[in-house]
Amino acid sequence: MNESSTHGETEHTFHPVKKIEIIVRGEKEPFVRDLLDESQVSGYTIHHNVTGRGEHGFHEGRLLFNDRDSLVMFFAVAGEKTIQTIVDGLTPLFEKSSGVMFVSDTNVVRLDKFLQEE
Amino acid sequence: MPIDRSVVRARIENAAEYVGPLWPLKTFNAANPLGGFEDQPFDRAVQQAGQLFGGRGYPGPMAFRQAWANGDIDAEVLTRRLAAHGITERPEVLLDRMEADERAENTAPADRPLDRVMTKWLAAFLDQGQSAWPMPNRAEGFYTAWRTVAPYDRDIPGVEGPSDLPDTLVDAFGAVLGSYPEARWEAIFVHHLVALPGWTGFIKWRARRANTEWQAAHPITLADYLAVRLTLADRMGASIAPDRTDELPANGTNQPALPRIWLQAWEETYRTRLLDDLRQAQPSETESERPDAQLVFCIDTRSEVIRRHVEQQGDYETHGYAGFFGVPMQHQPYGTQERVKSCPPIVDPKHRIVERPAEQYWSQADRYDWWTRLEEAGTALVKALKDNVAAAFGFVEGSGGLFGGAMAARTLVPSGLFRLGRAIERWLPGPEAFCEPTVDRAPAADGEGGDGLPVGLSHEAKVLYAEAAFRLMGWTTFAPIVVFAGHGSQTPNNPYKASLDCGACAGNPGGPNARVLAAICNEDAVRDELRERGIDIPEDTVFLAGQHNTTTDGIRLFVDDNDPPVSSKGIGQLRQDLRAAQAGAAAERVETMNATVDAGRTDAATQETQRRAADWAETRPEWGLAGNAAFIVGPRALTREVDLGGRCFLHSYNWRTDKDGTALENIMTGPLVVGEWINTQYYFSTVDNAAYGSGSKVTQNVVGKLGVVQGNGGDLMSGLPLQSLMADDEHVYHRPLRLTAIIQAPVDRVDTIMQRHANLAHLFDHEWVRLVVMDPKQDNAFRHYQPGGSWSAHAAAGEEEQAASAVAQA
Repeated sequence: MNESSTHGETEHTFHPVKKIEIIVRGEKEPFVRDLLDESQVSGYTIHHNVTGRGEHGFHEGRLLFNDRDSLVMFFAVAGEKTIQTIVDGLTPLFEKSSGVMFVSDTNVVRLDKFLQEE
Repeated sequence: MPIDRSVVRARIENAAEYVGPLWPLKTFNAANPLGGFEDQPFDRAVQQAGQLFGGRGYPGPMAFRQAWANGDIDAEVLTRRLAAHGITERPEVLLDRMEADERAENTAPADRPLDRVMTKWLAAFLDQGQSAWPMPNRAEGFYTAWRTVAPYDRDIPGVEGPSDLPDTLVDAFGAVLGSYPEARWEAIFVHHLVALPGWTGFIKWRARRANTEWQAAHPITLADYLAVRLTLADRMGASIAPDRTDELPANGTNQPALPRIWLQAWEETYRTRLLDDLRQAQPSETESERPDAQLVFCIDTRSEVIRRHVEQQGDYETHGYAGFFGVPMQHQPYGTQERVKSCPPIVDPKHRIVERPAEQYWSQADRYDWWTRLEEAGTALVKALKDNVAAAFGFVEGSGGLFGGAMAARTLVPSGLFRLGRAIERWLPGPEAFCEPTVDRAPAADGEGGDGLPVGLSHEAKVLYAEAAFRLMGWTTFAPIVVFAGHGSQTPNNPYKASLDCGACAGNPGGPNARVLAAICNEDAVRDELRERGIDIPEDTVFLAGQHNTTTDGIRLFVDDNDPPVSSKGIGQLRQDLRAAQAGAAAERVETMNATVDAGRTDAATQETQRRAADWAETRPEWGLAGNAAFIVGPRALTREVDLGGRCFLHSYNWRTDKDGTALENIMTGPLVVGEWINTQYYFSTVDNAAYGSGSKVTQNVVGKLGVVQGNGGDLMSGLPLQSLMADDEHVYHRPLRLTAIIQAPVDRVDTIMQRHANLAHLFDHEWVRLVVMDPKQDNAFRHYQPGGSWSAHAAAGEEEQAASAVAQA
């Protein structure tokens, strides 16, 4: 369902898409990047040196001399099918490595920026 | 059954956790071969690894017998620990029993045809410029390239043409895995990856660096490896899946406990003696006067020896800091397009530093270029003539005398060669003499190469690295001269040179990093900003860079003598004192190397080290970090009066100036972790050299310019050679003890840091490293960390640890 909002003279249409957020240890960054590159996502954002607590304890970011142990957060937006492929590729990983992923509904204005052919 | 590519990839990623990355020889990095098991307690980890790699996890009876005979294992400690496990026999009886157990366990390695075929193709594909006739189609990736030529391999049955093999990688997995449930895939992958941990470790390293030259030209991933191997296993009738009994033991405490108890007793003995020495040395808390010079060395265990000797020469203060000097850089030496990572394995480079000739020395650079080109042309000509079938015989006939003479000189008079090298250096100075690093940002050069690293450093980055250095070391005074001394080894004809260079610089010499930090600290703008942040560097302080030659103990200062930044008298005195320190340190080290030197000559020891530095047949130019056993974090005052025998990493730290613990946090999560990697590499290379080391140098061969194999093929050898660890066939030189970290800081500060770093706490909780804190708020009392998070008093530490261990065993 598309919603419309009107601000003055411009009219923006919201298009529903899925958003995935992934948090993994820094050393898994190449793996997740490859997975996203191979999927149909049109782009993604990476936050380095993320801090937080997980099942295995606390992980402080902002380390001067260690890029391996700090956490990395990815987020990407795409259609449901693409997000499903990413989830399939990550689920086995989390059986062995620490990390989490969240999938949620979100909206974008410029749909053509986010949806490639699925 | 269709195979989901992304699921296969994730399963491979998981399986690859069991294999440690293996760096190519040129950037040999220390790493824990059991790094993938660090999330488990040490004892369980070595048993699982033993099951997978067939390697031993504890020292053998020979090492224990030697330690026992030398008094390195305290009888009382051993007896107490054995008694806690209900063992009351005499130690000699137990040594005999361990020896008998070992003889019973020894089995000859099985000949596995699948491994032979696999290693043949891996060596061909991964070749990095050694072979004269490379494998075709490598640009298409390993699986595709192999599929094209596999029909010509008579060791592979039933393949007439490429069409007999699956079209693509995904098809290959589908063909073999189709009959197994997904739940079994990971075990299958592990089984095949650990069969050749050297090659798979190298692929793991290379595949993660997609932008490196060879990986870009000839891509290979562990998926390629597995696709080829599973296809081969299928064709050759080898097992696809491991026997169920081969799979990882869920919980393994079924091994005999003797070696474990002996190791703990040995470690406790070393630890107790070291702590006693530190306590007796009684650190002085008084602030020192301004010394004549401060010299900063790498935390490397070899620095401890030279530091002691430098301090004896005059009013010199020495400090320890990670040998990349906190600058995470990639270095591009002069005259080459090659870029080398020059920071620790756990740090990614953030800047590219290029060596460029200083304007006033362009003519010197031209002269150097001319001679270098001539030499390169000569080398290329000789290679072409040697490799050319028609020319080879004539070439040998014609040039035999010349090459024979050179060979005789290298073999018979290596000391003369060392002097000749120095004479040539004086006549034709190397790039260090006329180049300067691009410390300033040079955006125009960023695009060259395309790996995205900015050339040079921004002002903010410069301030950050300078501040980090002085905060981590806890400096409050600055001498008129401050020297940052990186280190490197000198050894010809040695594939393992990188293992003797600076581990904090990814197996490269640390001089370039030292030059960068010195240049940063000499900038007025940087000093102004540091002053605002409370670090006040006096106007007259000059920062110099240097490099400690760990083979000869000579220290070279990178100073332009035509325009010295400090008085030439001051430099002259420093150089003279450094030469005296070299003589003392070399004499101390030569004693440990089974060398016979003329005791009547004062420079005999230095000459012996120089011979080793030039001798192309020398298998042990120096001991490297052999002997490493402890990592001490604190001011030099703690250790200055103690001879640590070159066995301790020393990181300077001042708990008083680090109120919020940030400096200590960075030391514990950075250098200490690298220290653990180095320590475990020496440990495992010593306890099982066949599984985790690389065997004797005498029978090693370099393959593909990337690694070594024993004899003419097989798996890549991954760890250190025997000559770096053993004094001779029967005597261990590196005493395999797990690292003891000793930190002078309040216990609650260390506790807070561990609570914020789960991965760090794992190392201590799982007994990969032992942690002792010297708490200055409790009269410098020692507090021992116990797995699980509690602290015990010094006197009770041994008993408490052993009680916990006995419970775990029960």
